[in-house]
Amino acid sequence: MEKSFVKKILIFLGILFLAIMLVLPLVSVLFHAFENGIKVFIKSISNEEALKALQLTLIAAGAAVIANTVFGIFASFLITKFSFRFKKIFSLLIDVPLAVSPVVAGLMLIFAFGKRGWLGPVLDYLGTKIIFDIPGILIATIFVTFPLVFREIAPLMQTQGTEEEEAAAMMGANWFCIFRKITFPNIKWALFYGSALCASRALGEFGAVSVISGHLREKTNTMTLYVEILFNEFELASAFAVSSILVMISLMILILRTIAEYKAKKWEDK
Amino acid sequence: MYVELKNVNKKFGNFTAAENISFSVPKGSLAGILGPSGSGKTTILRMIAGLETPDSGDIIIDTQKVNELSPNRRGIGFVFQNYALFRHMTVFENIAFGLEIQKKDKTFIKNRVHELIKLVGMEGFENRRPHQLSGGQKQRVAFARALAPNPHLLLLDEPFAAIDAKVRKELREWLKETVKKVGITSIFVTHDQEEAAEAADKIIIVNRGKVEQIGTPAEIYKNPATPFAAKFIGDAVEIENYGNFHGFKIENGFEKALIRPEFVRISKIEDEIYPYASERGTVDGVSFKGRSMEIKVNVRGKSFLAYHSLEEAPIFAGEKVSVLIYKMYLYNNEKVKLIENASLKNEQEFSI
Repeated sequence: MEKSFVKKILIFLGILFLAIMLVLPLVSVLFHAFENGIKVFIKSISNEEALKALQLTLIAAGAAVIANTVFGIFASFLITKFSFRFKKIFSLLIDVPLAVSPVVAGLMLIFAFGKRGWLGPVLDYLGTKIIFDIPGILIATIFVTFPLVFREIAPLMQTQGTEEEEAAAMMGANWFCIFRKITFPNIKWALFYGSALCASRALGEFGAVSVISGHLREKTNTMTLYVEILFNEFELASAFAVSSILVMISLMILILRTIAEYKAKKWEDK
Repeated sequence: MYVELKNVNKKFGNFTAAENISFSVPKGSLAGILGPSGSGKTTILRMIAGLETPDSGDIIIDTQKVNELSPNRRGIGFVFQNYALFRHMTVFENIAFGLEIQKKDKTFIKNRVHELIKLVGMEGFENRRPHQLSGGQKQRVAFARALAPNPHLLLLDEPFAAIDAKVRKELREWLKETVKKVGITSIFVTHDQEEAAEAADKIIIVNRGKVEQIGTPAEIYKNPATPFAAKFIGDAVEIENYGNFHGFKIENGFEKALIRPEFVRISKIEDEIYPYASERGTVDGVSFKGRSMEIKVNVRGKSFLAYHSLEEAPIFAGEKVSVLIYKMYLYNNEKVKLIENASLKNEQEFSI
């Protein structure tokens, strides 16, 4: 009796909390985005600036997913299938981007790659520029999402051990075949989940990118930066419209992620 | 000799996993490498397989030195301790994997896999995945997968360790039979003396990276060559001051002795046969071991084990009993020596 009463209260509080903290803001974004009609919405997301920002955001997110998936696979392989000195330190270093604030991460990159940074002269000599330019945005996005894929697949690979790979090697499979037929199928859902996590985090990245971009319109503005600009300029309808695009992409990724998580869990239980 | 190791050494950092290992296994026989955990037995197996490289020494398979040969060129089938079945593949796909790597044609693969599935008695399980199989079934599939590419040598790492006791015995017999039927030279690794004794034609006892003794199970059991072998085989109990027991004198250079349960006969005091050779003891505990009772008896402050047949008058904890020690192994750091109860000899002579 009492138990079901407690249960009801907890459910009620949970729903209330979700409604106020999540559903209300989410709906309000979509509501305000379409407040002035579909025409205004389309106009505010189809102007040159918005499209450029969307493009850059997608490129940055794509780069982050690709770079960190590749890195995640290699690093997990290294950490779990081999033993070497400084393994602990290596694994700890990978986590640094998650530990420091994105704004600080942005500053760190400026000190490293900026004009007066340590690598500045080298970049000058090569005639390229990273900070306040698109490469900087990509690097910042990759940096803040660096450990996400690794963190998803490394523990899985750890528990799976190396015996299956060894067994395949004993039968004469080369490393590419081993990866394709043994390792990859065993981690694919976790890998997908990690990539999706990486993608949603990359889409929403603000801090590090904000420090590094220099806010050059139509050049180094990502969606999040663009939303901030619109908001500061009191173009609320447009800000909401652009935000709603981000929200929709994120929701889509969330759904994919949930599917992947479910599949990965089913896989792990085997 | 089909497989031969000559002075093989292997170190991991400061840890010596193999020191001057030399032994050979004849064609078609089943050898067991027996040793406690950390003795280096798995390392030896992995070196034969090519999964580890020896620091020095030769590994010879079928008259060919294989040190530099990669694992897949050695013609070896390997059964891993936890089977290492490919978890996302079916039983059929698991067994077919090695053949597919060798690019055999489809009908050949199909026939060969079915042949093996039949051999290991897994008909009807072709489309199951590893997580749908019991431990014993996984073991059979791992075995079939290792045999599929027709290896000349089969290596098994603790093949029964992950299987529950009941199935283990059954599987052990099955494995021995099947290995003999296929006629493949096999080497397995185990820490279980019973397992080694039952399955192997020849046992290689390994301790701290060294070979302690090589022989048939009976030889090793009867004539342990080293103190380690004597302690490791049989349920021997170690005692000091063995000279206190009737019929035994302290011998120079041997400070300790081992008593195996089979060396001891326990009887009720009224049934005592050789009073001069026997001791009086107190029963500390009795436990039922299926075919006999295992009795823990205390004589002169030393406890050791003995078996007592269920056919004889039952003995209970706390009872005073007659204890006859027929023989014991004396040992020091290097040697083992079997000595018999001297008083018993005299008594038997008198009674004749």
